[in-house]
Amino acid sequence: MQKLGDFKLPQFFNYPPYFTLQPVRDTREKQVQLWKDLILDYCKTQHIFVIELEEEFPLFSNPVIERSLSHEARKAFLSALVTEGRAEWLDKGHRKCLILWHRIQDWADIILRFVKDNGLEDGVMTIEEIRSGIESRGTELHGIDRTILMRALKLLEHKGKLAIFKGTSTDDEGVKFSV
Amino acid sequence: MRRRPGIGGLQTAAAARDQYRLLGENVAKLRTDLMKEQLATFRSQLEEFARKHKNDIRKNPTFRAQFHEMCAKVGVDPLASNKGFWAELLGIGDFYYELGVQIVEICLATRSHNGGLINLQELCMLLRQKRKTDREAVSEDDCLRAISKLKILGSGFEVISVGKRKLVRSVPTELNKDHNEILELAQAQGYVTVDEVEGRLSWTSGRATDALDTLLDEGLAMIDDGHKDGKRRYWFPCVSSISSSVGADI
Repeated sequence: MQKLGDFKLPQFFNYPPYFTLQPVRDTREKQVQLWKDLILDYCKTQHIFVIELEEEFPLFSNPVIERSLSHEARKAFLSALVTEGRAEWLDKGHRKCLILWHRIQDWADIILRFVKDNGLEDGVMTIEEIRSGIESRGTELHGIDRTILMRALKLLEHKGKLAIFKGTSTDDEGVKFSV
Repeated sequence: MRRRPGIGGLQTAAAARDQYRLLGENVAKLRTDLMKEQLATFRSQLEEFARKHKNDIRKNPTFRAQFHEMCAKVGVDPLASNKGFWAELLGIGDFYYELGVQIVEICLATRSHNGGLINLQELCMLLRQKRKTDREAVSEDDCLRAISKLKILGSGFEVISVGKRKLVRSVPTELNKDHNEILELAQAQGYVTVDEVEGRLSWTSGRATDALDTLLDEGLAMIDDGHKDGKRRYWFPCVSSISSSVGADI
């Protein structure tokens, strides 16, 4: 079995035709499904939040069989994730894609659990503290993409679980929990 | 002096006929009895043999195949029914029914990948993986037997020979001679190009693309435009399993 770091690649990754968009509908659906699963799985284990279409990305080429995904194929697979709500385009040109291996709702739940685990039910934290503070070390929140974090926090704010307040710069934006 | 036909003559003739018939019946009965006796002896011998080699039959695929061959030669089908003494004796019916169910499962699970056509060798390999908990080995012969039992269900399971290999078909796709020849050609590398098909089989390009397009539509082929020579390759998952394809292209 081929590996990328400690990530175990699926067998289809070594089968050349999976790197060409298939013209027949049924075959293509299966192909897209396999790639969607692979991208989500890889991003989750490697803690990757953003994929840039033009940039090198380990999954987009397989040197062992000398195949790589065309721009069109990359876009097709990521678009399929976007349609499913598991990804979002970050720009109009569809060059950067935010990967939601947890949906925003799931991230919100993770934040709530984190708050409870640390006894912060009515505490205050800055955004940066959540992303890189000691409390979040070893949890999934550590190193979380800022866009995703803000979206999850806004969802919680909407539900009345916290209040987001702004400081003088984006660096000291913070939240007041009231779980 | 020639005797003229009379009542006495007719009676004698009838009596003789009766005698002959009686004798004939006797002989036939004797023969049947003898045959019955021989069959009974044979059956008990076969039973004894089966009982004696029960473990070999169950555990050893080669032995099992030979036993089947022997049974076939004398017109006994140990798989004909799940009841009866064979099943009780060997539990061999259950073995094949179980195999049959697992074969169906594998065919369904891999269908979206291979379009419902799978290499017998790969099927066997997957079957062994699936059954890794029990130690009884499964041979290709066993697979074929189990599949032949599936045919009764009319679900379209069939074994087709393409070149030297056997493929198991689980969807009712009609493959014509052209398709078979392409599959046979593809066995060498796992893929073919239009040029190869035209060259090796001396076909016109229309015939080649037609056949390849049908195979694509049936989900039996996948295209690959990624090779650096720029020629489109048609891959056939049914002749080269994914796991063994790595070596094919380097």
